[in-house]
Amino acid sequence: MTREEELHKGLSEAVVDMDEDLAKELAQAVVDEGFDAYEAIDKGLSAGMEEVGRLYEEEEYFIPELLLCSDAMYAGIEILKPHIKKREDAVRHTVVIGVVEGDTHDIGKNLVKIMLESAGFNVIDLGRDIPAVEFVKAAEEHHAEIIALATLMTTAMPAMREVLEVLEKEAKRGNFKVVVGGGPISPAFAEKIGADVYAVNAAEAARLARELVA
Amino acid sequence: MNDLSPKERLLRVLSNQTVDRAPVICPGGMMNSATVDVIEGLGLSFPKVHPDAEAMTRLSSAVEEKTGFENFGIPYCMTVEAEVLGSEIDFGTPVCEPKIAKERYASAADVEVRDVKQLVREGRVEAIARAGQTIAEKNPDVPVIGSLTGPISTAASIVDPMTFLKELRKDKTNAHRVLDYVTDFLVAYAGVLIESGFPVITIADPTATGEILGPKMFGDYAVPYINRLVDAIHGRGAKAIVHICGRLDSVKKHIPTLHGDAVSTDAMVNLKALKAETGIPVVMGNVSTFALQLQEPETIRKVTEKLVEDGIDIISPACGLSTKTPVGNIAAMTEVVKDR
Repeated sequence: MTREEELHKGLSEAVVDMDEDLAKELAQAVVDEGFDAYEAIDKGLSAGMEEVGRLYEEEEYFIPELLLCSDAMYAGIEILKPHIKKREDAVRHTVVIGVVEGDTHDIGKNLVKIMLESAGFNVIDLGRDIPAVEFVKAAEEHHAEIIALATLMTTAMPAMREVLEVLEKEAKRGNFKVVVGGGPISPAFAEKIGADVYAVNAAEAARLARELVA
Repeated sequence: MNDLSPKERLLRVLSNQTVDRAPVICPGGMMNSATVDVIEGLGLSFPKVHPDAEAMTRLSSAVEEKTGFENFGIPYCMTVEAEVLGSEIDFGTPVCEPKIAKERYASAADVEVRDVKQLVREGRVEAIARAGQTIAEKNPDVPVIGSLTGPISTAASIVDPMTFLKELRKDKTNAHRVLDYVTDFLVAYAGVLIESGFPVITIADPTATGEILGPKMFGDYAVPYINRLVDAIHGRGAKAIVHICGRLDSVKKHIPTLHGDAVSTDAMVNLKALKAETGIPVVMGNVSTFALQLQEPETIRKVTEKLVEDGIDIISPACGLSTKTPVGNIAAMTEVVKDR
């Protein structure tokens, strides 16, 4: 294993082990020793977060672990980001994400955002309790390809449907792919309201989003 | 058959004694049934009702009358505890329930412990106790249920919730210190309600789910503090219902360790199977609140009938009701249970 590979492995493990300090230390080592910052994010931190996503899907990790792992990832990214050489070739796909109107629970949405970012998306986070028209407006403004909608509350499910209705009414449905998810959402509900895909959790949301823009 | 009074029936079920039929109730709090339809024509309006004992008395009587639920349930939101403990509350609108605008503390280490005896004299606690007392005196046959926000959810509404969830792992000492404090306050608050004539307390702890915490933390944090609160409620001679949100798969082994007299669950849980698998004697639920809001009364009747046929001990909504739920749908649900 080369020194660079060692650092990638270390960064990945620091994320999985929720070790923010180690992630910072190794990210700094990448910078100091002159290795490529983008590679370190991709093969180190993101790879670690992918493993975290797997552990979450397997119910080894839950929300507190996921949050701590993402803190470690972000601590590393913070240090590496200024050193990324601009990649001309890479196409950045944009996702507009938010919690639908009537719901202020945003833990799930934040996790999806993290997973999407670590999967290479440009994520426009509208926040929580967002009216239907705001999603459509933001998606157009930012030239997004995907609109991601979340809710934890059954009572906010009609507000999720409303986003699809606005898209239909304004004849813009064909312009965007719509991903839905959250505690009470089911594949059947996603189909009923005309969403493109249902994601059962954050890791799957990122995976499906990549498929949608492939 | 309607031989027992609603209060006797509910208390008998919660003591695991035989009854003529299942009670059909809605505890208030997270499961608030003071909907837009119900409040109409009373000359009352949200958010003005929340701190007003006289208004709560009238509104809860209207809920019982119009929906057919066999109880009174107060308060109508989950922010009473957080308000007393210092968080900023957005009291909402006629159609939107109150929510936390800003948590009081950035992290668990910042939480200052105050005297809970003083705290129960603050905020809406007294108004809620007084409303319950008035209703209980006027309606001795109908149970008044006090709805509490559970320890983890209360803690996560006074400390930034994302930070608090992380601190359950990263700063266990302070996480436990905050939960101790919050639970002490909830015990004192429940005590005030019980003294005022609330025979049943419901604890809903939507942040403490298997899906959020996972089995280990649910066992380490949710179960012990909920149980401490339930034990205190029992110690004062009242009954306790514990509502657990979300899917139960990952935490099923912990369910029988809860000390509550009944376990209430969300709509995706098969209560009949849960009872069989865990051996818990009394389950409550779980008419989909999504169905209640959007389906026709006929569908609601079928869903409810299925629960009755499955021998579910207490019939109730599965989760928080939308304020726009048609009262006709709620009435359809309660009629089915009473007509059996």
